[in-house]
Amino acid sequence: MGTGRKTLKYILILLILLILMVIVASSIGAAKIGLKDTSLILASFIPGINHFIDTARLDLRDIVIISQIRIPRIFLSIFVGIALASAGVIFQGLFRNPMADPFVIGVSAGAALGATIGLVFVKDIGLLNISTTTIFALFGALATTFLVYGISRIKGKVSVITLLLSGIALSAMLSAMTYLIMIFKTHDMAKIVFWIMGGFTSASWSNFIILAPVVTTLVIISGFFMRDLNIISLGDERAAQLGVQVDRVKKILLVLASLIAAVAVSMSGIIGFVGLITPHILRLLVGPDHKILYPTSAVAGGIVLLMSDTLARTVLMPREIPVGIITSVIGVPFFLYLLVKSKRQIF
Amino acid sequence: MNRDNSVLSVKNLNFSYNHKKVLDNVSFDVGREDFISILGPNGAGKSTLVNLISGVIKGYEGIIKVGGRNIKDSNPKDIAKMIAVVPQYTNPAFGFTVAEMVMMGRNPYISRFGMERKEDFNEVGKVMEKTRILSFAERKFSELSGGEKQRVIIAQVLAQDSPILLLDEPTSHLDINFQIEFINLFLNLNKKDKKTIIGIFHDINLAIQNSKKIMLLKEGRVYDFGRCEKVISRQSLKSVFNSDVFVGKNPITKKMYVSPIFSPTGQRAAAGKKVKKHLRIHVIGGGGAASPVINLLQESGYDLSCGVINTLDTDLDTAQMLGIPYVTEAPFSPISIGSQNKNLQFVKSSDVVILPELEFGYGNFSNLVSVKEAVGLGKKVIIVDKKSIGKRDYTGGKAEKLYRKIIKDGAIVVKSVDKVLSHL
Repeated sequence: MGTGRKTLKYILILLILLILMVIVASSIGAAKIGLKDTSLILASFIPGINHFIDTARLDLRDIVIISQIRIPRIFLSIFVGIALASAGVIFQGLFRNPMADPFVIGVSAGAALGATIGLVFVKDIGLLNISTTTIFALFGALATTFLVYGISRIKGKVSVITLLLSGIALSAMLSAMTYLIMIFKTHDMAKIVFWIMGGFTSASWSNFIILAPVVTTLVIISGFFMRDLNIISLGDERAAQLGVQVDRVKKILLVLASLIAAVAVSMSGIIGFVGLITPHILRLLVGPDHKILYPTSAVAGGIVLLMSDTLARTVLMPREIPVGIITSVIGVPFFLYLLVKSKRQIF
Repeated sequence: MNRDNSVLSVKNLNFSYNHKKVLDNVSFDVGREDFISILGPNGAGKSTLVNLISGVIKGYEGIIKVGGRNIKDSNPKDIAKMIAVVPQYTNPAFGFTVAEMVMMGRNPYISRFGMERKEDFNEVGKVMEKTRILSFAERKFSELSGGEKQRVIIAQVLAQDSPILLLDEPTSHLDINFQIEFINLFLNLNKKDKKTIIGIFHDINLAIQNSKKIMLLKEGRVYDFGRCEKVISRQSLKSVFNSDVFVGKNPITKKMYVSPIFSPTGQRAAAGKKVKKHLRIHVIGGGGAASPVINLLQESGYDLSCGVINTLDTDLDTAQMLGIPYVTEAPFSPISIGSQNKNLQFVKSSDVVILPELEFGYGNFSNLVSVKEAVGLGKKVIIVDKKSIGKRDYTGGKAEKLYRKIIKDGAIVVKSVDKVLSHL
């Protein structure tokens, strides 16, 4: 039962699902574009295939809508989904705890405070065409990560309990500071709340061009530590006995997963539950082996967030709902259903 | 020990944790195919020693060499190829299958960037067959019974294919049937597969019955290390564990065994305390009558001897288990002049002689003569006399006559064993 072939099979199924979802998502929206036209437009972007497609027959307006508005947003949501689910798998494995999510060590609170400061106090600095909010959110997320990490490092070892506790404590403080700013700047409150609830309304190619390579690189590097993560779930001592450099691997994965989460949250706001639920659903489908769980969860995270975002921008058209609300409102009942149905079988 | 033959060599190992010395200048060598048990009370440093040898904890002083190579110069995977640890239990955070669990044992052989190779699957299959877990290879580890789980863990350990196995109390939470199964497995691995086994066992008997050598650890130091017969004694166990045990020999296997001495609080406390008066006491033995007296006096901490007892007599077992000096005679034979003289030596060197409720025949009549001698020497003689001597005399009145004479000459008569103490 080669792990490689099993992984490949699942990944292939998930990729097909993802492609179908991309076509559907590109087709739905305020401007109605048929599935067939959508498929043709999408195919015309793919090098090699585009020669066979007669773009002249297609509506130029549709091509622009899809290529400049929908696709950047679709890709951004996919990559944020990949990032959140990957970070979720890593944190759950590292902490040996299925409750862990990408924001467990306070990345989200840091990003929120950063974003708030950016929204309220700073004029657009226009660095690399990325919004000031995003840059400040990223800075807040990274600063929090390294602060929490620094507090929890004792004699070169990272204590998981200290990490979680300092993360919770720091989150509380940072959130309080965010609320404080909101009280004094009431006219910005709606903007802040909307950002915190998460979404892709300001998605653009310039965001995606930064996000995609960073997330891809970090996710792939982390992928080489999945055998170690399997063994670490037996406990640190046992893992060390089996030849795992526990402290080193933990440090590397902590930094990588925190970076992944920080980048994602700064681009999209705080989108809850994707990073928590996706690994659980995949664990039910493919089992707990991180070598399979990690890549499949990553792709599935992309699908889940793309689906959620498509719903977020279409269910109450023309009004948009923050995607974080969709992931929670739909994700939580689904998760609870799985939990009840499978009882203790997940773990 | 021949140094070339040692697979594990520990030299001047010192380790402190939170400024408290856990291991204090520990040195020893382990040869190929050794089966060594490390014994010692909680906090003696056993687990720390295992963790240091297996490279799990670092920051020690001294040298640990595995297969001739300093483990400070080896990476964790190389150490894991040489030494595999069997833990007490393992509790994975996620629901891995049995096969997945066993494959984790191959970690030292698989590169970070590589995949499991064919030989890894072969090895996993082999060890699963050996540990008889193939039939539930695809079941979840978490759903197995305690004994099945431990079998899986042992398969995981064997998948490491290491010449040395470190056992960290691997059977302490298992029922006796599994304990026996696993000990047999380890014995087999030691004998057939030539694996070196170093184990921590909570059960002293399990350790001494199965290992070739014993290491006694006390407060982070090696108290003694060597063959069981050399290392295990009532004295050494008392010193290391600070508790009183019988050390006997299993009549069937001829191997040593240890059994704890349980006694009610009062007597237990007495055993620990210094005796009021230091007295040498000789107890006349035979027919099991001396055992209760010996036991009582032993717990009270007196210096005892016993004789003359026939081999196969219960009193002899008692004397041997408690490790007190004794004089014996061949089974069912009358007491010889030689034994009688030895017995008299003991009588002469003691302060008190005690005569329990023995039955007298012509064979052991000379024991009574020894008591008479003691009275003559002015020794304090205490006689336990509940059942009248007439009913215990099989010499046609000869023993009874001497017995009465001894009492007349000043021996103290008590009506029960417990009363003996009040006359000392």
